[in-house]
Amino acid sequence: MTSGTITDGPALRDPHTPDSRIGHGADYLHAEHTLRSWFFTTDHKRIALLYLASITAFFVIGAVTAGLVRLALVVPDGQVFTNDTYNKLFTIHGVVMVWFFLIPSIPATFGNFLIPLMIGARDLAFPKLNLASWYVFMTGALFTLASVVLGGVDTGWTFYTPLSTAFSNTWVVPALIGVTIVGFSSILTGLNFVVTIHTMRAPGMTWFRLPIFVWTHYATSLIFLLATPVITVALVLLIAERAFHIGVFDPAYGGDPVLFQHLFWFYSHPAVYIMVLPGMGVISEIVPAFAQKKLFGYKFVAYAAIGLASVTFFVWGHHMFVNGQSDFASLAFSVLSFAVAVPSAVKVYNWTATIHKGSLKLDTPMLYAMGYIGLFVLGGLTGLYLATLAINQHVHATYFVVAHFHYIMVGGTVLAFLGGLHFWWPKITGRMYIEAWGRISAFLIFIGFNVTFFPQFILGYLGMPRRYHVYPPEFQFLNILSSAGSTILAVGYIFPMVYLVYSIWFGKRAPANPWDARGLEWTVSSPPPAHNFVTEPVAPKVPYDYPIQAQETGRHHS
Amino acid sequence: MFGTHDERRILWRHMREPVLTAGALLAMLGINVALGATLPFPHVWIVELIVAGAMVVTILLFSMEVRHDPPLVKLFACIGFFWVGILFTMTLVDYLSRG
Amino acid sequence: MSAGASDSAVGVELVSHFATVEQQKHAAVLGMWAWLLTELLLFAGLFLTALVLRIIHPEAVQEAARHLKFWIGATNTVVLIGSSLTMSGAIQLSRLGWQRGMVRFMLATAALGTLFLVLKGYEYYADYQEHMMPFLSDRPYELKDSPPSRLFVNLYYVATGLHGLHLMTGITILLVMTWQASRAGFLTRHQNRIEIFGLYWHFIDLIWILAFPTLYVLNR
Repeated sequence: MTSGTITDGPALRDPHTPDSRIGHGADYLHAEHTLRSWFFTTDHKRIALLYLASITAFFVIGAVTAGLVRLALVVPDGQVFTNDTYNKLFTIHGVVMVWFFLIPSIPATFGNFLIPLMIGARDLAFPKLNLASWYVFMTGALFTLASVVLGGVDTGWTFYTPLSTAFSNTWVVPALIGVTIVGFSSILTGLNFVVTIHTMRAPGMTWFRLPIFVWTHYATSLIFLLATPVITVALVLLIAERAFHIGVFDPAYGGDPVLFQHLFWFYSHPAVYIMVLPGMGVISEIVPAFAQKKLFGYKFVAYAAIGLASVTFFVWGHHMFVNGQSDFASLAFSVLSFAVAVPSAVKVYNWTATIHKGSLKLDTPMLYAMGYIGLFVLGGLTGLYLATLAINQHVHATYFVVAHFHYIMVGGTVLAFLGGLHFWWPKITGRMYIEAWGRISAFLIFIGFNVTFFPQFILGYLGMPRRYHVYPPEFQFLNILSSAGSTILAVGYIFPMVYLVYSIWFGKRAPANPWDARGLEWTVSSPPPAHNFVTEPVAPKVPYDYPIQAQETGRHHS
Repeated sequence: MFGTHDERRILWRHMREPVLTAGALLAMLGINVALGATLPFPHVWIVELIVAGAMVVTILLFSMEVRHDPPLVKLFACIGFFWVGILFTMTLVDYLSRG
Repeated sequence: MSAGASDSAVGVELVSHFATVEQQKHAAVLGMWAWLLTELLLFAGLFLTALVLRIIHPEAVQEAARHLKFWIGATNTVVLIGSSLTMSGAIQLSRLGWQRGMVRFMLATAALGTLFLVLKGYEYYADYQEHMMPFLSDRPYELKDSPPSRLFVNLYYVATGLHGLHLMTGITILLVMTWQASRAGFLTRHQNRIEIFGLYWHFIDLIWILAFPTLYVLNR
């Protein structure tokens, strides 16, 4: 970490040049106009937009089903939908949100768009593979979507055996095939990122000059590569089980359903960090920019990303405390789970220390970032409750768990996604959105989120199990409160969809660096030229070279 | 097809290592097959496992030429096996301690 | 020139988004290794399942393993080791620029790969004859007194089937590449493709080197 000195030198570059390129042609959005130039593009920036459009559509589907689930839970007697319909609704919500929104969300959009720009490369290492991964993603996702919407699946997103193999009479096999295919898209994206970050960095762009965003995406990509194949094989065995009754997970022949859970969570617990780490990268870019202060403890934040990606592979059994694994295994997994808190806390403390005595601008991206930090702390700390064997016995498979992971997934990933969307929107589209609307929707989402999910902690603690729509009448008040919150949340989501789309045509033209931020992506015009860098990119001497350095007061910042 | 004496000499110089590698692999396979066919002593699987491991290392180092690769590729070659170790160890923590 | 050496140098053509050929080659090698990591973890899930079955049902697994065609498996391992040797030969000759010899080695590799699949097919046929296909619901199963043995036998089909699929993919790619590589100028532009594919081929070999003891030998 740096000492208390201040760099007196000029900011890396004048933030307001070069000017907008809209109307000058040659930027990546206007280089070509045909449909073909979009659907067969190998430009990482255009592929990022293909992903952005697709995952937004999936998010809407997931959100609508969540709304229907909340609607069903307004009354305690389960009269809104049949049991079957309710089971299918929460399965659609889980499958779509986890597999088709959260996992690709930040890596496939911002990661694709920004990694080459941030490291000073012309493109990812394998541009054709990048396009292929989008097609693979869409094939698998639409296949599964068709099966869960038209046919319906009632197993939940986890596809637990023996429910998914022996008891469910729904379209499990097609849904599984689609999810398996989507896994290959993750692998290809991760492979591309790993190779790109290793081999494509501009001259002088050493590892410790990389933005944390790149570090967290590197860590995420490692998880993509090392975890995804294990769930692929688990799903293949599940498909074989349903199609041929191979029996490996079937107790009737002496198979072990818990083995599926081991294979499933070897991927799906690290997958939590596929969803969380990229968000952490986004926050690590936003916070220094809006505090105008160097990121506190850069190396610790970078190492914490790799630390999280490694430790996360040792803790999956904490999902299985009551599912028949041995007591000794539960104990081991419980102890190891506490280790995850360390790198997570390192990051939170470092963001907080970055904000401390910074020159704060509370623009929309920063509002999302601060919301993220608060909600991530709550989600993370309740995770420690759940990792404790005794407390887990009490709250396992209740709404406490639901609330916990929504604080991480929505309070964390979705807020980071929206924060990043607002932060890089001017760079991606070349247009500014209307700031006031951005702030209003950030507040609505924060309030709506807490009203929706905080009551669920209480519900879970009181004993309301997840995945049931019939519940004791005394839980009705908290459920109504939660459902009411979800309507606020919905409004908060609808606003950005309207004003961001509006800005594409009517927004003010964006300068190259509207936030006075550091990083190579802000040195190119908005939107960037088709080949990213018109002149050779020059790597910064230090990352996050903001006016205020660590441990300094705000007196001297320019 | 490799007409001249010189060409045969060059060919042998380049093929020596692959041929020796294949020979070593066949020899190790021979050991494992013999052990598997005769089962000479209890817990022979330990020896078989070690021989199989040696075959894997031989393929990595010689056939795939990891020996000559830069450290980064060496790391990539190892990291997968390390992660397989995590998968096996943590799963066996459960299965070996079930009552 | 009888081995087909061409006068032009062996090399790789630069693709525009890379700065140097070195960078491009390094990226290709690293990319293949990253892919092989995922292949290893994929098969590891199956090997782990085999191990777990062995732990929870030792006798049934042993009984099932003794019904596998041990000698066909061993022969197939020899075949694959041979194909690795010819693949190494193709790589060596591609570095020398001896195009015709390289193509012959590639064809030999594809032939050995195909021989493996033929032997595997025969093995499946023999298994079928001996009623060792418990996943066929309308065919009696040889070891019906030992239900857990079904699990191991079925797993054997999943694991060898998945390996066979990889081998078939490998042979297809190899044949297409052989066709491309037989044309003039290939080695001056795409020599590294031979090396990259070689990594994949050796790794499929490596997976079998693990699968053979796991399925056939260790559980006898």
